[in-house]
Amino acid sequence: MTHKGTATFIAQRASAVILLPLTLWFLAGAIAHAGASYEEVRAWLAAPINAALMGLFILTGAFHMRIGVNEIIDDYISAGARGLWKLLNAFTASAVAGVALYSLVKLAA
Amino acid sequence: MASPAPQRPLSPHLQIWRWTPTMAASITHRATGVALYSGTIVLAVWTASVALGADAFRPVGALLSSPIGVVALAGYAWALLFHAFNGLRHLYWDQGRGLDVKSARATAVAVFAASLGLAAVLLAAGLMNRAG
Repeated sequence: MTHKGTATFIAQRASAVILLPLTLWFLAGAIAHAGASYEEVRAWLAAPINAALMGLFILTGAFHMRIGVNEIIDDYISAGARGLWKLLNAFTASAVAGVALYSLVKLAA
Repeated sequence: MASPAPQRPLSPHLQIWRWTPTMAASITHRATGVALYSGTIVLAVWTASVALGADAFRPVGALLSSPIGVVALAGYAWALLFHAFNGLRHLYWDQGRGLDVKSARATAVAVFAASLGLAAVLLAAGLMNRAG
């Protein structure tokens, strides 16, 4: 991540701030549905407000975790292998976002 | 990527450091971050299982409500709380505040205590809710 330090720093903090309230919403929702049936869970997640918040939570989380793990790669992986690990990291984060988007759109349909 | 890449030093590995609350919080922030990476993957899989129908949801739901699943979920809740609270600590530092040793140590201990305490409350609430 050469020459992009400031942008990455800001992106990490901005996504962190967005994730703070979403984390509280997610924990409250998860606790409220402990032991719930499939139908109850589905009805909750299919409600537009919950689907939108879950989408924001997972997509912002995927964005945030990619930056964090890139930082770990910079710290502990020697220069030669860094690019490959970062590519794998980007693919994983994209896959998480894609699976979440697909699922939430399917639930709403 | 401009070449040739300058030879930057790698960070010292874990065993180099002397144990203090501040270093423990720093390492735990990273460890919980990595754990949350896995947790987010599981959350995406769980969301997909809800979308795909009752047959897809059944094994995922069964795994998450098994004893191992409950321990994993409690750990996930704690990791979210720790990372969020310690993230607030980082945002506070970004303002140039709380950086002296005494404050940094006190906030590190507070983050451990608050995240563990709230995670215990959430686990109890979840278990009581599940029991109906």
